[in-house]
Amino acid sequence: MTAAGAFRDGVRRVNGAPIVLIGLFTTTLIVALPLSIVLRGMIDAHLGSSAVASTFAENANYDWWDEFSVQASGLGTTFTPSVIGFAAVLDNTSRLLDNEPLAATVAGATAAWLTIVSFLSGGIIDRYARRRPTRAHGFFAACGTHFWRFLRLGVVAALVYGWLFGAFHGWLFGAYESYTRNITVERTAFVGRAAAYAIFAFVLAVFTVIFDFARVRVVVEDRRSAIGALAASGRFVWRHAARVAGLCLLNAAALLLLMAVYAALSPGAPRSDMEVWLVLAVGQAYIFGRHYLKLLVYASETSLFQGVLAHAAYSAAPVLLWPDSPAVETMTNVEPTTAR
Amino acid sequence: VLARPVASFALAVTLVAGAPAWLGSSSTRAQIATAPSGDGNAPTRASGPPRAPRIASYSIDATLDHAARTITGSQVVTWTNATAKAADTLRFHLYYNAWRDANSTWMRERSLSRTPPPHMREEDRGWIEVTSIQLVTDPANPRDLTKRLRFISPDDDNPDDRTVAEIPLEAPVAPGATIEVRMSWTSRVPRPFARTGAVGSYYFIAHWFPKIGVLEDGGWNCHQFHASTEFFSDFGSYDVRLTLPRGWIAGATGVERERQDQPDGTTRHRYVQADVHDFTWTASPDYLVRTETFVHPTLPPVAMRLLLQPEHAGQEARHFESTRAALRYYGEWFGAYPYGHITIVDPAWQSGAGGMEYPTIFTAGTRWLAPARSAEPEAVTVHEAGHQFWHGIVASNEFEHAWLDEGLNTFSESRVLDVSFGDDRLVMRYFGGFVPWVLDDFRLTRRAESYSAAAYRHAIGRGGDTPSLPSWQYSPRTAVATTYHRTALWLHTLEKMLGWETLQRILSTYFQRWSYRHPKPEDFFAIANEVSGRDLTWFFDHVHRRSHDFDYGIETFRTNRREGPAGSGAMYRSTVVVRRYGEGTFPVAVKLTLDNGEDVRWDWDGRERWKLFEIDKPTRARRVEVDPDRVLMLDVHRTNNSAAIEPDGPRAARRWSLVWLIWLQDQLLTYGGFV
Repeated sequence: MTAAGAFRDGVRRVNGAPIVLIGLFTTTLIVALPLSIVLRGMIDAHLGSSAVASTFAENANYDWWDEFSVQASGLGTTFTPSVIGFAAVLDNTSRLLDNEPLAATVAGATAAWLTIVSFLSGGIIDRYARRRPTRAHGFFAACGTHFWRFLRLGVVAALVYGWLFGAFHGWLFGAYESYTRNITVERTAFVGRAAAYAIFAFVLAVFTVIFDFARVRVVVEDRRSAIGALAASGRFVWRHAARVAGLCLLNAAALLLLMAVYAALSPGAPRSDMEVWLVLAVGQAYIFGRHYLKLLVYASETSLFQGVLAHAAYSAAPVLLWPDSPAVETMTNVEPTTAR
Repeated sequence: VLARPVASFALAVTLVAGAPAWLGSSSTRAQIATAPSGDGNAPTRASGPPRAPRIASYSIDATLDHAARTITGSQVVTWTNATAKAADTLRFHLYYNAWRDANSTWMRERSLSRTPPPHMREEDRGWIEVTSIQLVTDPANPRDLTKRLRFISPDDDNPDDRTVAEIPLEAPVAPGATIEVRMSWTSRVPRPFARTGAVGSYYFIAHWFPKIGVLEDGGWNCHQFHASTEFFSDFGSYDVRLTLPRGWIAGATGVERERQDQPDGTTRHRYVQADVHDFTWTASPDYLVRTETFVHPTLPPVAMRLLLQPEHAGQEARHFESTRAALRYYGEWFGAYPYGHITIVDPAWQSGAGGMEYPTIFTAGTRWLAPARSAEPEAVTVHEAGHQFWHGIVASNEFEHAWLDEGLNTFSESRVLDVSFGDDRLVMRYFGGFVPWVLDDFRLTRRAESYSAAAYRHAIGRGGDTPSLPSWQYSPRTAVATTYHRTALWLHTLEKMLGWETLQRILSTYFQRWSYRHPKPEDFFAIANEVSGRDLTWFFDHVHRRSHDFDYGIETFRTNRREGPAGSGAMYRSTVVVRRYGEGTFPVAVKLTLDNGEDVRWDWDGRERWKLFEIDKPTRARRVEVDPDRVLMLDVHRTNNSAAIEPDGPRAARRWSLVWLIWLQDQLLTYGGFV
């Protein structure tokens, strides 16, 4: 299977399970919404009975915003002009690549969301691997089965990402600072920084892909050992580096395309009730797209793994019921003539 | 004052009898200050009849060794004792010693600021060493006083600070007498810590030579180099010969009179400028040179020379238009720029030299990616070009009264930007600051309503200093807010109180009367009272002589139905309590708006802690606002200035929390790639 084939197949698998997409989108919304309500309370409390609120309701008011930021703490510190439109995307991507710390409340929400998604990812990959509905009980049973394996994998991942952001990032951007220390041309320095971002993103992608395929192998092969799955994933990525890289590039290109569309369509600050709904609709459409692409990564990687690995029809047949693993289903259904 | 003799230095001084004709025999600095300032309409005017008292003049020969990053120089300082008292010592600023090590007063103070200096590597350090000082009484037999040089720390007794040197004289310099001092020195050019130094082959060299302090009737005004203040020096003439690598582009205070290639592969540039109080230069092999001329129907022409970084090619017009706007409006509002030439330096990236003013030359500052709708480089260019007037010509003491320059200039800049360029947009920068993003939703009107207010608001939470303190005593954390922004805000208030025409006459009178004379705050206040015809002492007491912050707010607002007299129908009693939350007092208006659109206004002297206003009307009140015309710009807590019967807070909060929700969802998904 080619990278493009896996990508196309991934699209089909994601499209074939819209409930998974809606479920993940809803999960994110459920995590984010309470914080949004808390922030709404902060803004409301600061505005109080002030008549400034009527102007702020109609447009961005820098003066009020700055006054709010002076007294803001915790979650309130994240309410900056960068939340408007496409600036939000730049802000979040920039913060990640520059390794800027998150506000404690947001960091907590992010950790909670990552844990929930980690739990769900077992069921998601299982669903995409089987290419058939697993129903709620099957989906969540798969989540539960794989969660503890993923948790062990997560510990290793946390150590690796901790090293990447804690040591490697510091070393890499320290080297960038040294390299550009006597450079007096900003354009040259920018090229240097872009190169540092590229290196960091590449290393990050390599490790992320290895962890991704480890999850896929845990689910598809019903592996109990997270470490074993990690080693197997490493071997898989190494042996099929070109296809894996191609798939990564396709997924990255899809993300950049989505961001570009959002940059072009994002309406900025709302000025009327109608515009509020427009901002919300366009914003949520973008967020929905981000979820789609997130799932596309799972699905296309699963597809690539199943398509490349030398097992016959390495995917679940549509008729059997959970709890057999996709591999067990495959072996049960396999016909002698198709075995290789 | 702790004086520390240093054995390895030598000095010699020559007394030159007599004083210049304009000085008089028993002159004081005040008398000197009344000297006529000359005509000064000629373009590229670098010399001629004095427009300023030439108290400290310099003839300098300096050679840059690019490989060693050193400057070797010799200079002859011709100095006149313009006070009524004899001078038995000389004091010189040696600014480059601020970066000799981390123990200087500058480095110690900077470490307390919000942007502490980066780690000082060995190769970053700068210093200046005076190798010879001679008082030339007899040219054939100069008196060597090098060994008399000692370092003193008049401000903080820091034994490790070497930014002020004192030389006791064998014989005092009589009032009105002029002496000639020959000095030799070597300096190591630092990596820029404070807008002077070198990065790569880019040099911007300011405060680089031994510079004599200002002798006043009360003694030497020669402060150490402080992290949050700038400079003060006497006017004079400069004749400077710079030897630089051949092929390099140079720019400096004044005009280039000669340029000679030397056999050793260097080029000697000679710059001359009279009636200035400093000399600064820059050199780089990379500059692009652009020239244009400022022409105005009533103001003298000015030759503008732009030294541009190649990566900013295409931004020439923005630099010239900004400089042109400053020359025009400062010229029309305050007085003409007299020198006939100006050099705009576009500093190299990370040179740390941007946004600084020197006589007839200044640094602007822009970015490789500079969106057209942002105020970069316009704001900094107008600001620094504007300094030519308040810093270059009026020349108040920036060690002690920095606000007289920076505050007035921040206010002036904001007016020029307003009339020349209109509203700004907020620009956010991402990815290490390289990538700009313009937020069109934020239209920033007159800059004092945005940047000055914002900057001041952030600082006063930490407690600003009393502005009347000597500026060098300000906290490094709040000095900028006190010097620049508080002053700009109260000048905007003064404009709204008195009207622009009156304030413009105050500023132009101040400029015309005190050009080249180093005015003090009381001189400005006296002119404000005189020109406005009002005693504004109370105002300056509050905004300048006290550190009070200003905050008025609506504490209570309600409107209740009550029965009116028989047959008069329903009446509504509207009740407003206005409270003074800050310590500063200021007369404020209170505006009540009724449901039928009718406005009711009350005036309050603002002195008590609170004030009750009540009125009975047949219509309900809708909203109330204290200081509705936003006269009191120093009241930067505006949210509590108004109240509505039916507040829109919940609607605004809902809208913006939904916008923020998208940011948070995107944030979660950005990190979502890790699972």
